[in-house]
Amino acid sequence: MIKNRLLILLFILTCGSVFSQKGIISGQTLDAEMNSEPLPFANVFIKGTTTGATTDFDGNFSLNVDEGIVTLVISFVGYQTIEIENINVVAGETVELNPIILKADEGESLDEVAVTASTKKESVQSLLTEQKKAVELKTAIGADELSEKSVSNASGAVTKISGVSKEEGSNNVYVRGLGDRYLNTTFNGLTLPSNSIDKKNINLDLFTTDIIENVSISKSYSPHFFADFSAGNVNINSKEYTGNGFFDISLKSEMNTNAIGSDFVKSEGTGRFGFYNRYDNNPFAVVLSHGVDPVSAGTPIAYSISGAAGKSFNIGDDSRLSLFISASFDNNYTLYNGSEIDYTNDYNKRFPNVDRYKYSTNTTLLGSAIYRFNSEHKISFNSLFINSSGDEVGFYGTQGDGFYRDSRSFVDTDRGFYQMNVQFNQDLIFVNQLLGNHTLTEKIKLDWGIGYNNVYSHEPDRKRISIEDYFYALDDDLNTHPVLLTNNSFDNQRYFQKVIDDELNGRLKISYQVTEHTKINIGYTGRTKSREFENIRYGYKNFDDSLIVDPRNLNSIFNGNNVLIDSLVQTDVFRPIPGMSPTNRPGLPENTYTGNMDAHGGFVSAEFNLNDKLLLVPGFRAEYFSQEINYDVINLVNNPSSLKVTEEFYLPTLNVRYALNDSQNLRASVSKTISTPEFKEMAPYVYEGVTERVGGNPDLLGWQDGVSYINVKDVSYSDILNFDLKYEWFMGNGQIVSFAGFAKQIKNPVNLVVANDATGTQRYFRTGDKASVYGLELELRKHILFNADEQAILTTGFNATYMHTEQDLFSTISGTYSTSFARSKDQLEGASPFLLNADLSYNATFGKSIKSTFNVVANYYSDRIYALGSGQLGNKIEKGFAALDFIWKNRIGDNIELNFTAKNLLNPDLQIIREIQNNDEILLSNYKRGINLGLQFNYKF
Amino acid sequence: MKTTLLTLLIFIATSFLLISCGDDDTADIIIYDNSVVNNGGGDTPTSQQINLSGTYVDDLTLDANNSYIVNGPLVMTEGTTLTIPAGMTIRALAAGSDVYVAIAQGAKIIANGTADMPIVFTSNASSPQAGDWGGLILLGKAPINSVTGGNETATSEIGSLPYGGNNPNDDSGVLRYIRVEYSGGKADGQSENNGFSFYGVGDATVVQYVEMFEGLDDGFEFFGGTVNVDFLVAVNAQDDSIDWTEGYIGTITNAHVIHGPEHDKGIEGDGYNTDIGNNSNPVFWSHPTIENLTIIGLGSDTGNEAIRLRAGTRVTITNAYIEGFNEGFDMDGDDTNNPTGEGVLLDETNAVNISFVDVNIKLKNDTGVSFTEIDFIQGDGNGNGTDFAFWGARWTVE
Repeated sequence: MIKNRLLILLFILTCGSVFSQKGIISGQTLDAEMNSEPLPFANVFIKGTTTGATTDFDGNFSLNVDEGIVTLVISFVGYQTIEIENINVVAGETVELNPIILKADEGESLDEVAVTASTKKESVQSLLTEQKKAVELKTAIGADELSEKSVSNASGAVTKISGVSKEEGSNNVYVRGLGDRYLNTTFNGLTLPSNSIDKKNINLDLFTTDIIENVSISKSYSPHFFADFSAGNVNINSKEYTGNGFFDISLKSEMNTNAIGSDFVKSEGTGRFGFYNRYDNNPFAVVLSHGVDPVSAGTPIAYSISGAAGKSFNIGDDSRLSLFISASFDNNYTLYNGSEIDYTNDYNKRFPNVDRYKYSTNTTLLGSAIYRFNSEHKISFNSLFINSSGDEVGFYGTQGDGFYRDSRSFVDTDRGFYQMNVQFNQDLIFVNQLLGNHTLTEKIKLDWGIGYNNVYSHEPDRKRISIEDYFYALDDDLNTHPVLLTNNSFDNQRYFQKVIDDELNGRLKISYQVTEHTKINIGYTGRTKSREFENIRYGYKNFDDSLIVDPRNLNSIFNGNNVLIDSLVQTDVFRPIPGMSPTNRPGLPENTYTGNMDAHGGFVSAEFNLNDKLLLVPGFRAEYFSQEINYDVINLVNNPSSLKVTEEFYLPTLNVRYALNDSQNLRASVSKTISTPEFKEMAPYVYEGVTERVGGNPDLLGWQDGVSYINVKDVSYSDILNFDLKYEWFMGNGQIVSFAGFAKQIKNPVNLVVANDATGTQRYFRTGDKASVYGLELELRKHILFNADEQAILTTGFNATYMHTEQDLFSTISGTYSTSFARSKDQLEGASPFLLNADLSYNATFGKSIKSTFNVVANYYSDRIYALGSGQLGNKIEKGFAALDFIWKNRIGDNIELNFTAKNLLNPDLQIIREIQNNDEILLSNYKRGINLGLQFNYKF
Repeated sequence: MKTTLLTLLIFIATSFLLISCGDDDTADIIIYDNSVVNNGGGDTPTSQQINLSGTYVDDLTLDANNSYIVNGPLVMTEGTTLTIPAGMTIRALAAGSDVYVAIAQGAKIIANGTADMPIVFTSNASSPQAGDWGGLILLGKAPINSVTGGNETATSEIGSLPYGGNNPNDDSGVLRYIRVEYSGGKADGQSENNGFSFYGVGDATVVQYVEMFEGLDDGFEFFGGTVNVDFLVAVNAQDDSIDWTEGYIGTITNAHVIHGPEHDKGIEGDGYNTDIGNNSNPVFWSHPTIENLTIIGLGSDTGNEAIRLRAGTRVTITNAYIEGFNEGFDMDGDDTNNPTGEGVLLDETNAVNISFVDVNIKLKNDTGVSFTEIDFIQGDGNGNGTDFAFWGARWTVE
């Protein structure tokens, strides 16, 4: 604090010497809603001039002002605007004002909210104010709330929003029961690529709260979104720093109650920091040079370190350059103990004992530069780099009781099956964005952005080993040994996969305030995206009988000497190099595909304030859409091949807001949108996971010559109708009650179900005529207890969603691929009928300098369909469960924060079951994740 | 501020240090490849060597004066006929995968060999091995129980071609005196080609005197269908020698199975494909009839099972000779989706005149349904198998 004062003083001196004809006004803004803590980022300006600034992290500001009597205006979104009149500024002198306390209010105009560049949308109140003023249905959660609830990333953030849930153990987010394929993710309003081949959206876990200003979900459509919009758009706004200078550092340590005390293992050859250094080698050289055994991952205590710093420079009278950099690294050790079963109509694999060790890391770097020319023009540049890694070692059937339906054991075909899967995934993501806001005239504003994204998603050297008679590894008899399963060369395999995505996208919006009551927006959003995919796999075959199988030393078998020199093992590859043998030789990529997608749309919307109460926002979007896929895959007759589709979409939309009074709104929204298939859904390439196979289906694009169809429509997309109705009551001071009802109808919906193709492969089908979703949402944020100063000390937040989903199912579908259903309708995949998110927070002060917040956060969702069963297969059901986290934050003095977190306190069973006949079920997987205990130390310089 | 900036710089520097990479240490692998694969079989220079692959929309008749190499998927489409003269040897590129001959729904193969002039499909490698190439695949329009019925189809494990339908009397042509050697090449990471694959093949198809010799996967696999096979030989199939699923209901007369050092079951029969379900309406299960069967294993002390029956399959076996297995019959199932045991109780599954020689356990019942050995096996010791020495003379190899 002293240092900062000094800094300001130096700053003042410098400025003072340059602009000697000017005087200075300085002061500090305080937040009445936060125990009169400093209020950063408030706008301070001299009335009738362009002279202004925002307050820094400590609420301080200092303005160079021309001599004379002036009026100072202090404002902050969601807060009362204060005017201080008759300040006498004398050249070379400083007027030091008393601390200025700002109170929450809803008194500001819509325009002010729209100037996002100059407001800091981190606090609950300011976001609620924005929500109240917004022309669309939108819910946001800001950095303040995230920090309070100790949410570590964007994925944790969205699950605090009503109607949103997350699938345990994966990065699937569901909005109103609609999953990944029905969502879009943007970063500062520009599309983000997915980090994963099997996903449309990026893993929100990758966005740490350090770089988030706020996360919002728009559940209703506005025409500036792409036509492909179903359940919602998740937007992450990156931190935007404009203060005078700060530097924070944070350290955290965490342990998982399952993992602690275990001999934690990870892949060999991967770095502790989530990097892998063998990409430049031919995979065959990697296979021969390196073994398969995992290595120790050290003591499983996780830590994270992060730092952020910012500084602004005034350039000339009006301009200001603000720089911000944030860097963080964190890791995580989780040990899953449980059981897994692969069951369709009969047991295929059964592992009563499974240990999965997962070591993950996340490195994030965000740099941003904002250049504000003056109050009319601003340009910012954001550069984001993320490295995320997951290193998972799974041992299946550890007690010798594993079962495999196609066991070839000569000893016991009913037990002794064991598999080891050692897998490392690394995603490198680069996002670069240039954004601009311009006030061209008093009535015309321009808002634009250009983004260029790259994603490198690698799965290098996944090792999968299959062993029979594993019980021989557990007994003391030195004469008996397990054997390797050798049904297929690829029962024991090394797998390499690489995906590269590039995307260029842009947005442009011009708003014209025609009259006081009418505004028109015209704009463009577009993107062009490409993907390259390839994989290769080496299997092992013809093991020499002299090899002794020791599951703890498999490197003695799977090594280059045994292959090349001693000829005890052979390698196998799918696509030999022409003229070469597939045995003991490198090969060509097994599957490749490339995809291109273009979407370019123009939109127009208008905001008609018919009177004080009624706002009508009609809109229209016209979009050109095309996508193309070229593939060369194994095991397909019509190969290589390519598919292309081009469409034009015309989408009308209407949003209505009716203000019942100053604090209550009624909203309605009607729109038509589209859902288009993704590359992976169309490309008939089959991904072979450990226990499941997933492939694409070109029938999603409509008919082709030479194929006969039953119940396959000649369409390439789904039409969606959306209806929303919402009542919201802003009770002020960060409190809200809202009720919403929604309905959607999706025509020709797509589901992933098992195809009739003799291998149990799951493929994408348009499974019925339509799907419908109806639901109710309730949200409440209320202060319960106040202290003597009327400040809230106990606050609760609560949101609940009830949904009814239904889709009809064709009895039979036949085309390029076929499937069938024994029932005529079912619920939607991923839709829990009931969702609940709740939190309770209590503020307390100990002594003079310790301010503590106690937070209890709970989530619950009810049973939902994990995978729709086709034919007579029952559905796979993810069992609902409740999760409970406890967070205790302590602010000690001005600089230090010491926090304690206990997450997953209930440590529930995470279960997936398959429904079978007679209302019975088979437990497919059952895990406990363990409780995570953490200690965090933050220091603000 | 200087201290702050310095700290910031140190922090950034540390961050970069932290981003240490993983190990490499990958050796340079230099391979001197002197081998020549895919060499021809020493054909005389006067004949023309023709590569065969691709999707044929017209008839293809092979000329006895030429030699042929299958160098990729050879697919005969609906309405076309592949005709192969007696005595011809067709070689396949030893590429390991993606080399096979498929007769699609509505197409026919006419391969009419004789005992003295059999037609041979084999590898073109100089020292051939099991799995050098795919195999022979026939797809027809006879019923399968993985779909509800009518003209619905499923798609094949190999090449994703449609099969199945409502014509039990479908005709895919003639296979007579045919030997498939060194097949079983991989199709993907989970499945391999068989020697002969019959997908929904109808009973108007003639299949007589067929041998699978040295295959990496199954010898003969039946995915539903009604096709009958007379005089079947499987020698050294590394997976199951005879495998059925998806509601196969044909008759196999005279089958001779010999296990080599690598092998799985002699017969593995499934009532339906458990990955998909028995979707037939009305429901039916695989129910082949097998007459005159010999299965020779490697000895009872080497473990393994001669015949495994599961997933609700029915079977009627008459006159079988089983030698050299730990288990003769191993039956798996449950009382709901996989009613294998129910077939015995309903007397739809039975084995009459069976001889077990060097077999430790004649019947292992894991069906969840209790019945006695005598409920299933009648005439224990009365089986003498098939007279392979007689009908297998001249055209087979062992």
